[in-house]
Amino acid sequence: MTFTLEQGEMLGIVGESGSGKSVTAKALMNLLPRTAEIDGRVRFDGEDVRALAAAGSRHFWGVRMTMVFQDPMTSLNPVKKCGEQIAETLRYHLGHGRVAAMKAATDLLEQVGVPEPGRRVNQYPHQLSGGLRQRVVIAMALACEPDLLIADEPTTAVDVTVQKRILDLLDSLRKERGMSMILITHDLGVARGRCDDVAVMYAGRIVERSSTETLFDRSRHPYTDALVRSIPRIEQPSHARLDPIPGRPPELIDPPVQCAFAPRCRYAQADCLESVPPTEGVGESHEFACHHPANTPRGREALANNVAAGVTAAGLQISYRKTR
Amino acid sequence: MRSLVLSRLAQLVLVLLAVTFLAFSAMNVLGDPLFNIVGPLAELDCDAVSRGEIASTSSSLDATRTDCEIVAEAKAEFRLDEPLMKRYVLWLTDSARGDFGTSFASEGVPVSDILKEKFPASIKLMIYAEVIALGLAIPLGVYGAYRANRRPDRILSVVSFGALAIPNFALGVVLLYVFGLKAGIFPSSYDSSSFRTELTSLFLPALTLGSGLAAGYQRLLRTDLVTTLQEDFVHMARAKGMTDRHIMFRHALRPSLFSVITVFGIQTGALIGGALVVEQIYLIPGVGRELVTAVVRDDFPVVLAGVTIIATAFVVINFAVDLLYGWLDPRVRAKS
Repeated sequence: MTFTLEQGEMLGIVGESGSGKSVTAKALMNLLPRTAEIDGRVRFDGEDVRALAAAGSRHFWGVRMTMVFQDPMTSLNPVKKCGEQIAETLRYHLGHGRVAAMKAATDLLEQVGVPEPGRRVNQYPHQLSGGLRQRVVIAMALACEPDLLIADEPTTAVDVTVQKRILDLLDSLRKERGMSMILITHDLGVARGRCDDVAVMYAGRIVERSSTETLFDRSRHPYTDALVRSIPRIEQPSHARLDPIPGRPPELIDPPVQCAFAPRCRYAQADCLESVPPTEGVGESHEFACHHPANTPRGREALANNVAAGVTAAGLQISYRKTR
Repeated sequence: MRSLVLSRLAQLVLVLLAVTFLAFSAMNVLGDPLFNIVGPLAELDCDAVSRGEIASTSSSLDATRTDCEIVAEAKAEFRLDEPLMKRYVLWLTDSARGDFGTSFASEGVPVSDILKEKFPASIKLMIYAEVIALGLAIPLGVYGAYRANRRPDRILSVVSFGALAIPNFALGVVLLYVFGLKAGIFPSSYDSSSFRTELTSLFLPALTLGSGLAAGYQRLLRTDLVTTLQEDFVHMARAKGMTDRHIMFRHALRPSLFSVITVFGIQTGALIGGALVVEQIYLIPGVGRELVTAVVRDDFPVVLAGVTIIATAFVVINFAVDLLYGWLDPRVRAKS
């Protein structure tokens, strides 16, 4: 997988559970276990991030690049006061004294919209609601004014109203600070509404990446296309059947040499089972990895063939469906 | 907090009543206190003597009368004519005032004096053993978790199980022989003349007593730490760029201490039992040796007082452990 992110931009990474979104984030954050095999390169503002990791760089992660985790209920240490958890970053990276760091922590809580920050710094995580905890986590991540914030499903564990407020907060902070963000989510609606670019992951690969608008309006990869179609739409009559993707994601242990999505794909042809499709348009504004991209003549032909036969090359039974 | 203290006090009272009553009645039913005080004279049928019916086989009636006076005196002093329950209640009220009576064996010596003399050495030994145990177990537990499932951890695991498997008496004898008698690094007998001599002369006994404890604590801490290190907040701390050392000691250690302190409390009982053996091997004039002697001689007041104090210590230490839970985890504090 290859992607670039400009300063101040927000990249969305979407995909099902197990598609490799979080592993990507952890690889960027140098959080993978020691046993992980890593290759490839990450360049951050011209610096090779893996060389920084090898050199034991102390003030890179947490200062220039930080991360917010999915579950605010578990990502705060239950036995430390919220203020201390924010302050320790400032003390370690920026060398603040205890008092100055606590003062800065209070200010940070205020910036992320925590009411009564002076009281909250002295409270333990269990005394706060989920939404407030996620704000504390965000304050913690923002403490050293990072250039890049990776948010791994930051709103999955909080309820819908809190979700919107957290996303609004992240948006405004990003704009204020010119910070770049990677937003990992499985919520296509969130990706569509918030991100400049979106990358779709499937079975550990980016199968399609482009600007948000292009991706949703002119999807090329059948997986993206199917995902977009499966979003419930408000103009549909109520109780309309959703359009799910048949099957389940592949096992990634020893996968066959073929397009990983082929068994579930309505466009699948013989060549999809023979080789892994290369990524087209790398480095350009729209890249995708498919032999028979959707919404192209090749794709339409493949789909028409499969519909006529009633079965795809991978053996998936399909019936004719009205396309939009 | 107040309700916790009150409920613990109630628990302490209940435990003490149960333990002392059991010990008191067992000793009175299974043994004959009179025999332990006056010896064979206890066999004398003094009712018959007072009626002038039996003359002693070996001495005159007068001498036998004197013997009976001794028996009567002993019965009066130790209230042996009273029913069991009443004697228990009398003992209870006396000991609540700190008066544990006098020893049967060493005549007229108050039990509290004996205990005051014997307890310090034992307490020092036990504290020393715990200090050694925790001093070894915490760094080694942290190191084992840090290198989990790799060679250092595996070696530590083998060593721990070894230490757990060796009984105190075997380890005690070996250490005494090798480091005390052969190498002469440590004195082989207890010397309380100064803090320094005490520290060196109690080192081998404390190590004997503490090594098994250390091994148990190390295993528990290592396992709990490995679990804690997989928590999200540890990943979060790592994402904040905190060092391994900081994460280990400032984030992971405290929430991982629960099992260790729980076992710390429960092990107090085993520690007292272990101290008894170790005191025998190293000839430390502690309460363990005193109690063994007292049990063998059926010296009831001494045994009862020892049991009472040990039971109290057990309950108090476990209460302290409960307070520690609250200190370790604010969520526990919120509930109590």
